[in-house]
Amino acid sequence: MAEKEIQKREQDNARTRIRPRSVICEQGDIVVLRMEMPGVEQKDLDIRIEENELHVSGTRSGKTESGTALVRERLDGDFYRVFTLDDTIDRNRVEANLKNGMLHVTLHMKEAEKPRTIEVKTG
Amino acid sequence: MAIIRWKEPSWNLVDEYDRLRSQINQLFEGPAFPVTQGLFDRSVSPALDLIEDDESFTVVCDLPGVDKKNLDVSIAQDVLTIKGEKSLKADLEKANVYKNECWEGKFQRTISLPKAVDGSKIDAVFKNGVLRLTLPKREEARARKIELKS
Repeated sequence: MAEKEIQKREQDNARTRIRPRSVICEQGDIVVLRMEMPGVEQKDLDIRIEENELHVSGTRSGKTESGTALVRERLDGDFYRVFTLDDTIDRNRVEANLKNGMLHVTLHMKEAEKPRTIEVKTG
Repeated sequence: MAIIRWKEPSWNLVDEYDRLRSQINQLFEGPAFPVTQGLFDRSVSPALDLIEDDESFTVVCDLPGVDKKNLDVSIAQDVLTIKGEKSLKADLEKANVYKNECWEGKFQRTISLPKAVDGSKIDAVFKNGVLRLTLPKREEARARKIELKS
């Protein structure tokens, strides 16, 4: 029974999973994620939010070259990364844009959570 | 008991060391692998693959986030240079960066190709952040089958 599970897992994980390099930054009331996913086309990109996790996966269908590799520095595999979101992120306002192999994901904070300055009245 | 004349051993210690030294020097002579980093290349640079088959070389380089206008590919005497600039700061000027795993800035990779290529027939495609170059070998450098006449 356990052997079957292991076999299935090995089949599913036939392709190496690479964690794409990312930049996480915040400006005002938006959070921006940038992920390097070279060779991924829009149709091979899958972004989903499950509960409090953001799953990003991208497959690369690049052709494998024939011949001998004299230099092999690139990793061959598909991209997959999970980010944990907290309650301040509005799940309905997420934008994503793929350009030049770089994925930009913009997350907006919930209205109520935005930092609000409180005016102090004298008197 | 055999009486054997004792002779100086003809084995010379200095010669042995000389031989060892020249053997070790041969290991370092000449590039065992193609030289892929030039003098001005930085330590952080884009990853690339160099693949050779009978007809041509293929170079595949990951350059996510690089704009075509910031990329420059040139070849001179079988030395290929890929250089450009990668910038992450495009849209966010005053952002708080929590985590940055990406490198940015100017980059350069220099690759000296082991065999002669035909500079006029190089094909370069930059798509989805991946630069793919096909460099056909020059006629005389291609593997050619030699016919045996009986």
